[in-house]
Amino acid sequence: MAETATTSTAVSWTQHGAWADIAQAGQLGAAGPAGVTAILQGGFGLATLIATPGGAPALSGLVESRTGITLPATPTIVSGASHDAIWSGPEQWLLRAATHDGFAELLEALSVQAAVSEQSDARAAVRLSGPQIRDALAKGVMLDLHPAAFAVGDTALTSIAHIGVHLWRLTDEPDGSVFEIMVARSMVGSFWSWFAASAAEFGCQVSIDRSTGRG
Amino acid sequence: MSAQPFRLASGGLIDRGHQLDFSFDGKSYGGYAGDTLASALLANGVRLVGRSFKYHRPRGFLSAGPEEPNALVELRSGARREPNTRATVVELFAGLDAASQNRWPSLAFDLLSINRLVSPALVAGFYYKTFMWPASFWEKLYEPLIRRAAGLGRAAGAEDPDQYEKAFAFCDLLVIGGGPAGLAAALAAGRSGARVILCDEDFRLGGRLLAEKREIGGKPASEWLAATLAELESLPEVRIVPRTTVFGLYDHGIYGAVERVADHLPEPPAHQPRQRGWRIHAKRAILAAGALERPIVFAGNDRPGVMLAGAVRAYVNRHGVLPGRESVLFTAGDDGWTTARDIAAAGGKIAAIVDSRPADPARKALADKLGARLFAGGAVMGARGGRQLSGVTIRDASGVVTELSCDLLAVSNGWNPTLHLTSHQNGKPAWDETLQCFVPGSLPADLAVAGSAAGRFTLAQALEDGARLGRQAATEAGLAATASEPAPTTDPETTGLSPVWRVSGGKGKAFVDYQNDVTDKDVELAAREGFRPVEHLKRYTTLGMATDQGKTSNLSGLAIMAEQTAKTIPQTGTTTFRPPYTPVAIGALAGHHRGKEFRPVRLAPTHDWSKEQGAVFVESGPWLRAQYYPRPGEADWLTTVNREVKAVRASVGICDVSTLGKIDIQGADAAEFLERVYINGWKALPVGKARYGLMLREDGFVMDDGTTSRLGDSHFLMTTTTANAGKVMQHLEFCHQVLWPELDVRMVSVSEQWAQVAIAGPKARETLRGVVDPEYVLSNEALPYLAARSVTVGGGIQARLFRISFSGELAYELAVPADYGDAMMRALMQAGASFGITPYGTEALGVMRIEKGHVAGNELNGQTTARDLGLGRMMSSKKDFVGRLMAGRQALVEQERPALVGFRPVEPGQRLRAGAHFIGTGQQAVMENDEGYMTSVAYSPHLKHWMGLGLIKGGAARIGERVRAYDPVRNGDVVVEICSPVFVDPEGARLHG
Repeated sequence: MAETATTSTAVSWTQHGAWADIAQAGQLGAAGPAGVTAILQGGFGLATLIATPGGAPALSGLVESRTGITLPATPTIVSGASHDAIWSGPEQWLLRAATHDGFAELLEALSVQAAVSEQSDARAAVRLSGPQIRDALAKGVMLDLHPAAFAVGDTALTSIAHIGVHLWRLTDEPDGSVFEIMVARSMVGSFWSWFAASAAEFGCQVSIDRSTGRG
Repeated sequence: MSAQPFRLASGGLIDRGHQLDFSFDGKSYGGYAGDTLASALLANGVRLVGRSFKYHRPRGFLSAGPEEPNALVELRSGARREPNTRATVVELFAGLDAASQNRWPSLAFDLLSINRLVSPALVAGFYYKTFMWPASFWEKLYEPLIRRAAGLGRAAGAEDPDQYEKAFAFCDLLVIGGGPAGLAAALAAGRSGARVILCDEDFRLGGRLLAEKREIGGKPASEWLAATLAELESLPEVRIVPRTTVFGLYDHGIYGAVERVADHLPEPPAHQPRQRGWRIHAKRAILAAGALERPIVFAGNDRPGVMLAGAVRAYVNRHGVLPGRESVLFTAGDDGWTTARDIAAAGGKIAAIVDSRPADPARKALADKLGARLFAGGAVMGARGGRQLSGVTIRDASGVVTELSCDLLAVSNGWNPTLHLTSHQNGKPAWDETLQCFVPGSLPADLAVAGSAAGRFTLAQALEDGARLGRQAATEAGLAATASEPAPTTDPETTGLSPVWRVSGGKGKAFVDYQNDVTDKDVELAAREGFRPVEHLKRYTTLGMATDQGKTSNLSGLAIMAEQTAKTIPQTGTTTFRPPYTPVAIGALAGHHRGKEFRPVRLAPTHDWSKEQGAVFVESGPWLRAQYYPRPGEADWLTTVNREVKAVRASVGICDVSTLGKIDIQGADAAEFLERVYINGWKALPVGKARYGLMLREDGFVMDDGTTSRLGDSHFLMTTTTANAGKVMQHLEFCHQVLWPELDVRMVSVSEQWAQVAIAGPKARETLRGVVDPEYVLSNEALPYLAARSVTVGGGIQARLFRISFSGELAYELAVPADYGDAMMRALMQAGASFGITPYGTEALGVMRIEKGHVAGNELNGQTTARDLGLGRMMSSKKDFVGRLMAGRQALVEQERPALVGFRPVEPGQRLRAGAHFIGTGQQAVMENDEGYMTSVAYSPHLKHWMGLGLIKGGAARIGERVRAYDPVRNGDVVVEICSPVFVDPEGARLHG
């Protein structure tokens, strides 16, 4: 994670991201061509937006004017060039920005139309793909992730291995479906323990993307 | 390596080029790939494989499938030893190591077979009758003795070294069984594009086709099978899962299945589980599980060498093993003749065919062709032999008795549909008088039954059912049906049957239930003693219990009971089948969640730092929190905790409090909302201030407490206790969504966003000064007690600073975004280094809160009111709030109700114990004299004695009185003095410093 030198004390305030000491880059499980690819995300801005009563259209308009994306009314994710709006409940969304640059100002501007709560450090995110990703996720996800049942852009709040997760499907890659999962920061160790065990038989290529939170 | 004397020279679905060496009871044998342990042992002439449960009678193989009651073995050794595996379904692998069960010292010479000599005492219900008196002998003497003498295999007794998994699957159609009906169904649905999952418990697909010599479409059935499998594999939405038993049908079309991923290997390959438990959500399912063959009850019917006729065909045709040199067929129908034909075709000698039905010229001609004597209208009265069958006693139609030598008796008495899953949702099987078997009764919606499982026993019917129901399932899943093709033709077969439930008149025991050693006499006894309803029959005799759940015995038992009570079989009833169909290892149900993975663990953002500091962690709900930070040379935890407490009170300490729940509450009605959920007032709280709040449940008891800060006019940050964070969030959501949806209040948990640390002690402000950016003034005036401010740290990092105290010291809580939690701890340690800053854990936190008389989880135990805790005055009388009315109930406001006070030992050296009950001095320690109990205790290094908080009748009015703190569990009986719950700094001077 990016280091921020400080001026007021001699201590350097180094960020210790959610994945630190949990997962490392490299191949996990079976050797050979990886059936699963995991990219650990970091560096994104994230906030909960809850519209004022009856204020969802206005909020959506405001978000659109600032980011170019509208807020979805159904459990889906809407992605733009630099931001995603992820449905997370009735009149409630997660707004994610690729970087922290300008994020605080954006949230400030949105706070006139919404209850805004920053969550940038509250979630660990991982982007998952590869030809066998659905087989790996089937070991914990209690939802049908078949392309016919869970479309590109669909999101779900569900649980994996007794851990609450927020997951969605991104645009396919040539070797199949792509998913992203967000999990509460405090439980990422247990989540990864489950994931590593579940993906091991397929071989999993793990990498770390510190620059962006976007899939 | 010994030869395989019972292996046929050719034929069978085995790979003769691939020999597998294995051992049974320490002796080495050879088999082939494609064998089961049973077929390989039979090929080697091994027929004695176990001793029976109660009488220790020698037992062999009855079946060739999952219904096997006798041939249970311990598979593998050491930590992987698995008891009660059925040799008939264990796939042979190189190095397989199995042992027989329930014998001592050896299988051939079993001392406990002496049980047989006292067998008259071991009849049904024997342990209820024999071991009644004296009662104390049951646990100490009778039960251990019975358990040693009567039993099955031994568990490994060591932790299972293998991994297990759970997984979830979804489909339009689940096909249960990969025989002709199931394959036809999967093909018909799969061709329409339906998502199909086909599970078969066998390692090879085909079901009975593998065991039979049949023709489909004028060609050997194997060609149809190969073509069908090839086409199924070509369909992308069809998934075929062999070695997988669908064991249960649950609500909403959910099926439980267990996949034996690596049971056919010595040990699982790297990264593979041994087994995988599946939860399958199926829009529709077709049960094509086939049928189980029925034995006949006659004397000696358990001799090793007495086998089901269909099983004999399976060994001959599938495994290339002829299980005997000289065979006798005892059949009640046409099916047994097929076995005779196949034995003869394999070159076996058939001494006789005993057909229970009257003479028939066609059958006579066939018997002559097979070179066998025919006893039409006859019966096998008895089988003899010790460790293996040596001959049978046959009674012909005229009553003449003939003794014949043989080493194999194949018994054919018709088949029972494998309808177990149809009754898992309370469906009752229906008796079919024509077929003389139970067939599926009312079916759950979305479940259809095909082929033999539906009582449609011919191959033609199986193929027809499968194709029709498979097409129907696809249509119902919304897919365009493919053109209906006529089911392929098959070679002719007949299914004439006149079942024989029991042959009387033989000498010796006639077994109904092999696995539980239940005989026909036991059923008769149950009838005589009034245990006639089937459920009573089962429990009295144990008929149908244990690992095979009566797959081969239930119907015979019912038939004999029916005969005894002069009723029909359907009048007598049937037992209801419950999941699982066959035994399932607990590991497959637990999956990943064993040991420390039992449930998720939550770690604070400062966890790695605490670990580095040598913290000992304690489980606090799902969290791991630093309990204390021992240093080298410290003798015990108390030494460490005393040091930490003293350091805080003397200088400064830091303690992670990130685990507390944090709820961001915004909206125009946020203050009003807090008014309604807390007992105290909130509207007057100024922006930039924090306040202690207490909330009740609707029933008037305390739910949780914590500080809530006003960050803006319509913006609050609530904190909850660690343990109740989720519960409070749920409660607030309920209050908003259900009770007051009209309020403009919006909330979300931000517990995970912030790393928060308490900085406590006289040097707290000076320490903080080194961390908070210089433009923020920290003086007592600028930042008074209960101030709540936004600040920055480390040169511009957004942070929140609260001047709140749980320790009673000058104290702050500093919160930074979680990614900076680790850096915050390091910065504070550096800033406080010159003051000897000390990390402290939950133990020291607990000591200091008890010294200050603050309540925590021990007091907020769901049974206390605000009044009980001395917080009654907080309850506002100017507003309504959740729990107000119920808190006023008479019992909750009685003067006598125990209330919170402090306790100190009269003799300062004495230790106090939480949980001790208070009794008046000089009073007897009996319930009537109970006055309350100690909720929390700690040793106060400040006071240099133990102190306690507790609830006692009369509460603060009794300060100065002495009572006994009586703790019979730990032999504690200490005289304590009732005192103020605030032990340290009652004026609060330190807090405001």
